[in-house]
Amino acid sequence: MSKNRVTRRQFLNYTLTGVGGFMAAGMLLPMVRFAVDPVLQKKGESDFIATNQKVADLTTEPTRVDYSFEQQDGWYSSEETGTAWVYKDENDKVVALSPVCKHLGCTVNWNGDKANENHFYCPCHGGLYTKDGTNVPGTPPIAALDVFPTKEVDGFLHLGKAEPR
Amino acid sequence: MKWHTQDIQLFLKERDYIDTVILPLYPVSFADDIQQTVAMTEFINLLSGQLEKQFKGRILMLPGMSYLKTISEEKRLADLIEWEKELISQDFKHIFYITSDSDWKTVEEQLDGGLIWMPSIPLDNMDDQYKLSILEDQVKQLLNVFVKKWQNND
Repeated sequence: MSKNRVTRRQFLNYTLTGVGGFMAAGMLLPMVRFAVDPVLQKKGESDFIATNQKVADLTTEPTRVDYSFEQQDGWYSSEETGTAWVYKDENDKVVALSPVCKHLGCTVNWNGDKANENHFYCPCHGGLYTKDGTNVPGTPPIAALDVFPTKEVDGFLHLGKAEPR
Repeated sequence: MKWHTQDIQLFLKERDYIDTVILPLYPVSFADDIQQTVAMTEFINLLSGQLEKQFKGRILMLPGMSYLKTISEEKRLADLIEWEKELISQDFKHIFYITSDSDWKTVEEQLDGGLIWMPSIPLDNMDDQYKLSILEDQVKQLLNVFVKKWQNND
C-alpha cells in the first residue's frame, strides 16, 4: 500500500459509476430488445399446414384435399379438420379453393349438381361457382370462394390460411 | 348452425334461409349396455358435427336430447313429441332426428319428423385419417337424403 493509493473520493466515484452503469444497462437493454424484436421475429413458417397430397398427382380436375390441424380454443385444444378443392390451371399453377360457401357457410362440392356440370355447387340454397371460384350471378352467394395460399415442400402440398378475394 | 352464441346471431338474422332442424338422440344407460350407449352417443356426436359442417347454412343442429334407457319407451316418445310440437310451432319446415338407438325405429310412424337411424361404427382404436373418411362417407350418403327432402318440398 504505497504510491498508488486510491483515495476515498476515487473509490466512491468508481463504485458509483459501476453500479450506475449496471442500472442504466438494465433499463436500456430491454428497450433495445423491444425495438429490434420485429427483426428477430421468425417469419410465420408454421402458418402453412402440410397435407398428404402430392403436387405431382394434381390434375386440372378439382380434387378434394383434407387436412387436419391443432386448434386452440381457450384452454381446450382439439384436432380440427379442413378441406380444400385443389387443381392445376392452364398455366400449371396450383389453385386451392376453400369449400365454404360465401352465402351461409355450407360446404360446396365440385360437380355436386347434375344440371350444372363443371361448377361448384352448394346443396343448401343452390349457390353456384365457376371452376375458378367466381360466384354465378343470380344465385345466393355474393362473393367468390376464398383462396388458400399454396406452397410445395418436398413434393407435398402445403396450405396457408384461406383469404377472401 | 351450431347451438353457439355466434351461430345463433346469424341464425336470427338469416332465419328465412334456415328451415331445417336436427335433434340428435343420445341414449344413456349404466346397465350391461353401458358400452353400447357410449359408443352410440359418441358416434352420433361426431357424425352430427360433420353433418353440421356440410349443411351449416340451412340447418340448425340442436344440442342433443339425452334420455335414460331405464325410462319406458312410451314416456320417451311422449318427451320427443313435446320437442316436436315446439319445433313445429317455431316454423321449421323440416325436422330430423338422428340416432344410433334402434328403439326409435319401432315408433318412427308416430313422429312427424324424419328419423335417421345410423348403426354406430366402433370408431375407437381407429386412426384419425381413417375415422374422418368413414364419417365423410356417411355424410355423403345423408347428403342425398336431405337434398331429396328439400327438393320435394320446394
